[in-house]
Amino acid sequence: MNTNRRELKFAITLLTIPAIAFLALPLAAQQPHKAFPNGVPPVKARKPPAPPAGPAPKAEDGHTDFTGVWVLQGSTTIPAEPSYQPWAQKLYEQRKAAKGKGDPESLCLPDGAVRVTALPYKFVQGPKMIVVLSEGNTHSYRRFFLDGRKPDAQLDLDPAMYTGVSIGHWDGAALVVETVGFNDKTWLDPTGKPHSDAMKLTERYTRPDLGHMNVEITVDDDKALTKPFTFKRVFTLAPGWDVEEYVCQAILDGVEQP
Amino acid sequence: MTAALFGLDPIGESKVKKWIFSASVAGVLSLAVIALAAPQNGSNAATPPARGRGRGGAPRRGPGGPVPLLSDGHPDFSGIWNGQQTIAGNDVTSTGPGSSPTTGVPPMLPWAAKVQADRAKNQFADDFEARCLPGGPPRIPPYHISLFSTPKLVLMLFEGNTHMYRQFFVDGSDHPKNLKPTFYGDSRAHWEGDQLVVDTIGFNDISWIDGQGHPHSKQMHLVEKFRRPDFGNLQIEVDIDDPGTYQGHWHMNRVTTIETGMEMTEYVCNENNQDPGHLDHANNDGKHP
Repeated sequence: MNTNRRELKFAITLLTIPAIAFLALPLAAQQPHKAFPNGVPPVKARKPPAPPAGPAPKAEDGHTDFTGVWVLQGSTTIPAEPSYQPWAQKLYEQRKAAKGKGDPESLCLPDGAVRVTALPYKFVQGPKMIVVLSEGNTHSYRRFFLDGRKPDAQLDLDPAMYTGVSIGHWDGAALVVETVGFNDKTWLDPTGKPHSDAMKLTERYTRPDLGHMNVEITVDDDKALTKPFTFKRVFTLAPGWDVEEYVCQAILDGVEQP
Repeated sequence: MTAALFGLDPIGESKVKKWIFSASVAGVLSLAVIALAAPQNGSNAATPPARGRGRGGAPRRGPGGPVPLLSDGHPDFSGIWNGQQTIAGNDVTSTGPGSSPTTGVPPMLPWAAKVQADRAKNQFADDFEARCLPGGPPRIPPYHISLFSTPKLVLMLFEGNTHMYRQFFVDGSDHPKNLKPTFYGDSRAHWEGDQLVVDTIGFNDISWIDGQGHPHSKQMHLVEKFRRPDFGNLQIEVDIDDPGTYQGHWHMNRVTTIETGMEMTEYVCNENNQDPGHLDHANNDGKHP
């Protein structure tokens, strides 16, 4: 690398101790690309257009159609205080006191299934699967399987994932998505709410009208909580928007500007 | 890094270990899956044993049978497609830093030849894939790819590299004007018979075309023609045209097969990625750490 070569020449010339420079190079090479060693700055959300009025659309199979680009209304912080077991409460207090330091999201690690960003999400719906594309965070996706598979189906999956395995079913006009198979590495929101690998997530999606999607979220975790907790989120439809490319790692790495 | 798995180069040893560890977290469960699934699955029955180079094993012919159709009558590409694609014709390799040479490279313009030579001299130590940055098309990660077809939008979901996605709009729209350059570009598609033609422009100029460090410019124009001749097989004809970098264009035919009885798993490249620190630079002592 040119920089390293220059450093080498510099060291030889000025320090005349080539051995030291030689030893230092592998150390310098260990983390060569970190523009933001303490994490990327938070992303500024775009102001979404006003949600349109009208009835909720139906898919060809008659079920509620969630297809569209959606933006969270309100805060990404969970509007509920979980009742934690002592170890989890202690961890939660430590993270709150650290004021965001060590936040996995700032290090471009996946948000998982509970945490959301203020950037848009795109729902792409088919009869057997719904894919949720995320613009922000790791610019990745969740899949809600509607093909009747069981969550414990032997499909060669990692048993402990950031986003878990999500199986959906219809309850009238509502889509109910149950997710298991988590690791314990994500924060449930920016304040650092912890969870364990025993977490079971239930999301109940409804679309009361064209412009709104409501989600009722229940988190059950018998290793971390003393009882399950439930909260609600509202997303608004953003007509004319799409999920743009956001590559957290490129910002972290310094090849793109935040 | 995924690429390192394929290159089987010592530079990727730690990532190989990490991958093996990740895969083994399932432990007995994974072994049980393989033991149970393989004999029951016709497409896997004749597969040679895994070679320790990522999932999928050797490329093979997928099962025949009718092609599923979308509600509008067009072929449905939905499914999980083996990441170890057989490539016929000129090859933009999917493999990692400094691994097997890419063939069929059109003559490079002088600036591009210099950039590529510098990267080669540097032993491809700055390969984006090893840094968990998007390889970006036309480069393909060696892990599985899931396609999800709907009448107006086809998604390509990646397991490996950056676990991201591409969107192919099949809604009759044209590329927007004044595209902001991106790793994945902007893809608009249309049907020519049973073939989905995906036209992509709007690339940035910072990703590499392959593991051999071939550059490209913002002028790169990628055309991919997807065809599913039967249930288990997918053909992708790829054309790369980049007058800002090359004289002439690349043409290649990719062939891949369906995967059944398994699901794309989660791959998180930048979780404890050890590769960048292990990639040698040319002015290092030439010995791997």
